[in-house]
Amino acid sequence: MRLEPETEARNPALRAATELSALVGADRLRTPEGREALAADVIVEPHNADELSAIVFKCEVDGIPLAPLGGARTLCELRRTHVTLGVSLARMTRIIDYEPDDMTVTVEAGLTLGALNQTLAAHRQHLPLDPPDPPSVALGALIGAAKAGPLRLSEGAVRDLLIGVRFVGHGGRIVRAGGRVVKNVTGYDLMKVMTGSHGTLGIVIEASFKVRPMPERYTMAVLSCRDAAAAFEAAARAHDALPLIHIEVTSPGVAQNLGVAPDQFGVIAGLCGNRSEIDYQCERMRWLCGDAKCEIVQLASALRLYQRLRDFTLPVAGLSARIATLPASLAQSLQDCGAEFCAHAGCGVAELFMPGELGAEEAATLVARWRAIAIGARGHLRLLSAPPALRAGLDFFGAPSGGVLALSRRLKAAFDPSGVFNPGCFIGGI
Amino acid sequence: METNGGGASPIDEKLRAELRAIVGTGALVERASELKVYECDGWTIEKSRPDLLVMPRTAAEVSATLKALHKRKIAFVPRGAGTGLSGGALPIQAPVMICTSRMNRILSIDLANRRVEVEAGVVNLHVSNAVHADGYFYAPDPSSQMACTIGGNIAENSGGPHTLKYGVTTNHVLAVELVLPDGEIVELGDPAEDRWGYDLVGAVIGAEGTAGIVTRATLKLLREPQTRQTLLAIFPDVESATRAVSATIAAGIIPGAIEMMDRLIIRAVEAAFHLGLPDDAEAVLIIELDGLTAGMGERLTRVSELMRGCGAREVRIARDEAERANIWKGRKRAFGAVGRLAPNYATQDGVVPRTKLPQILRAIASIAERHRLRIGNVFHAGDGNIHPIVLYDERDADEVRRAIEAGRDILRACVQLGGSLSGEHGIGAEKIQEMPLLFSPDDLMVMTELRRVFDPEQRSNPNKIIPTPGACVEVAAPHRQAAL
Repeated sequence: MRLEPETEARNPALRAATELSALVGADRLRTPEGREALAADVIVEPHNADELSAIVFKCEVDGIPLAPLGGARTLCELRRTHVTLGVSLARMTRIIDYEPDDMTVTVEAGLTLGALNQTLAAHRQHLPLDPPDPPSVALGALIGAAKAGPLRLSEGAVRDLLIGVRFVGHGGRIVRAGGRVVKNVTGYDLMKVMTGSHGTLGIVIEASFKVRPMPERYTMAVLSCRDAAAAFEAAARAHDALPLIHIEVTSPGVAQNLGVAPDQFGVIAGLCGNRSEIDYQCERMRWLCGDAKCEIVQLASALRLYQRLRDFTLPVAGLSARIATLPASLAQSLQDCGAEFCAHAGCGVAELFMPGELGAEEAATLVARWRAIAIGARGHLRLLSAPPALRAGLDFFGAPSGGVLALSRRLKAAFDPSGVFNPGCFIGGI
Repeated sequence: METNGGGASPIDEKLRAELRAIVGTGALVERASELKVYECDGWTIEKSRPDLLVMPRTAAEVSATLKALHKRKIAFVPRGAGTGLSGGALPIQAPVMICTSRMNRILSIDLANRRVEVEAGVVNLHVSNAVHADGYFYAPDPSSQMACTIGGNIAENSGGPHTLKYGVTTNHVLAVELVLPDGEIVELGDPAEDRWGYDLVGAVIGAEGTAGIVTRATLKLLREPQTRQTLLAIFPDVESATRAVSATIAAGIIPGAIEMMDRLIIRAVEAAFHLGLPDDAEAVLIIELDGLTAGMGERLTRVSELMRGCGAREVRIARDEAERANIWKGRKRAFGAVGRLAPNYATQDGVVPRTKLPQILRAIASIAERHRLRIGNVFHAGDGNIHPIVLYDERDADEVRRAIEAGRDILRACVQLGGSLSGEHGIGAEKIQEMPLLFSPDDLMVMTELRRVFDPEQRSNPNKIIPTPGACVEVAAPHRQAAL
């Protein structure tokens, strides 16, 4: 990238860029593009672990805040200030090891979920983590933000599938934990520690996952219900009776956007198995749904609807949040919140959407109210996105208890004593 | 008197009185003869007696006990039922043992949310028993599940035969109450999923009691499958049996469990339980399928075909619950059956990528030959988690030495094949010296830093997992068999 020498002395980002150019080569640096500008001043694209190690060491010595771009981008909807250096792993996208019969895969963290699943699909396998828009989700970001989707009900979340990790930590140390085997209790579980840490403890460069066979057949049962209570009741009955792979409940606004259950609450159940199992489950679903309308969606139509469901987000500027409660309390909590929602009903997790324009005070009050509802149902709530003008007044995560916060701060201090890894936008200001 | 601290005991009368006031006289074990029971867990090769055992009944008592120890900088070792197989509950320079087995209440069962809240001393199987009639179960099922505690399972991140499909302890624990080594009580996680912030629950599970003492946990329950079917396939050689394991997985079928027994174990099991296994069978696979009744017939047929295609000379499908129970009896009591073959045995717990099973079994055979020992194999084939059983006689000092050496050789072979040291038993004291085979000094340092987040003074179960210089225990000839 081109640098303007006269501003370099005054601008820490430019100074960092100059020095990093000398360290790893100017071709590793670029200016942020599009939304990246909200997250970082300069982007560095290391080609391997050693380069990243040198970069991290340099940043610590010079006090340059840095963040993995995936993590920074996920939080860019929320962050108030950017980091100086965004680390893109776009050049670290190799599949290091994939043995289909082992059902494990080891990859560099810059590879996207979409690209990985394309490779796995040749062996009728997949990494069953399904956040929105897999082709744009780097696996490092998937881990950092602990992203999940509808399949979490049957396949679990990142923490359940990540079996090994390598990351660049403080001092530029390259640290490894776990391994390539599906069952392993050798040493401390750093995989859990890195999952959901939003790049605040180091930068994940390599990951090993368990992968799963793709379902033999996949079919959906879609129910339309007049009210939320009936929808959640039907979802609970189905979840209780059948080994569903997902069970989603959508509010009328969301259902309409998905093209299901117009003006009604939608229940979307995922069924899989061999032909007899699918036939049995469809029949059970029809029986379970009572008066509600039950439509069976199959084959390509089922896959298309699943993708719309997975990728869904309301295309409006406003607040969105994720609420998690005890599953049986979710229906009441969502009703109390009074927003459009898309719920992973079996898990007790839902995304809330408040599409309208809000004033700063109004937004803060709303978030506080939602959070109180979540806590009342023994759960929690975090913001997923908010307009930039509102961010300063919003509490994204809510305060953890004193004991948890103290341990979290100790963890941060142990793993990032210089405080350079994605500072200032995680729980408790970490 | 030689004490666990290695010198004069730091436990004075004042501390004893303080602890008596906290937990009551009956909850303190002080006599050497009674403490002898606690000198080892299921890893019996090493022994070390605690100076004092405390058996608290509540988190508040645990907290007060740890505060009393914290003031005096005294190290302690947590213990559940003592069924661990890697010496996790072996006191090494930790004079006080704290046993959670009296904290054994199931606090709440919430079927609508599939949650159960238990104290740490609740026995694993009691959880499933409490919800079985309603059609639910708690998935992790270590072979010791009739005795082992949830607290111990959390410390070791225990598995079991059904982890292939359902995962291990860490996949089923949502929240824990943890008493930190300074006595502070913290609640980590909550009963809702998708917790944000650092996954401190995940950091504590599998930390082998080095993060403090877990006193309570919120567990996830699963719905019982509509049906379970067990089949048994008999193979003329070990290699074709391992190929059949891969073929099943490759066909997209994830059974509830796939277990393998080799010839030595088959003979021992047959001698003990008379299952009608042929004397000349080299390998047996036990496969359990679970799920909907509707598709089960097709699935059983498919798996049977796969077994035959890989060379199984006979496939038996359990016709009823009694036959199914009988097959599993052979597997779960295989260790006991081995007791007929030799006075003593030690069980290893290495793990390899599933496709490397033929190689590791060949390696084990050659290690057995080299050390002039008999080694049987009964293990979780679907996970690649081997359990070689090394037979020896404790009265023969040279054979004990060879048995220990053979165990280490097996672990080295696992690592060379891209595997790991422990699939489910933990590192404990047993495999601590092998950790550098797998991890660099930097890896181990960062793991230590994580441990110190919870336990800055490293007083909770010291000298475990990460090798440190200066830790010593008496390596004694074992006189008690390992638990199953």
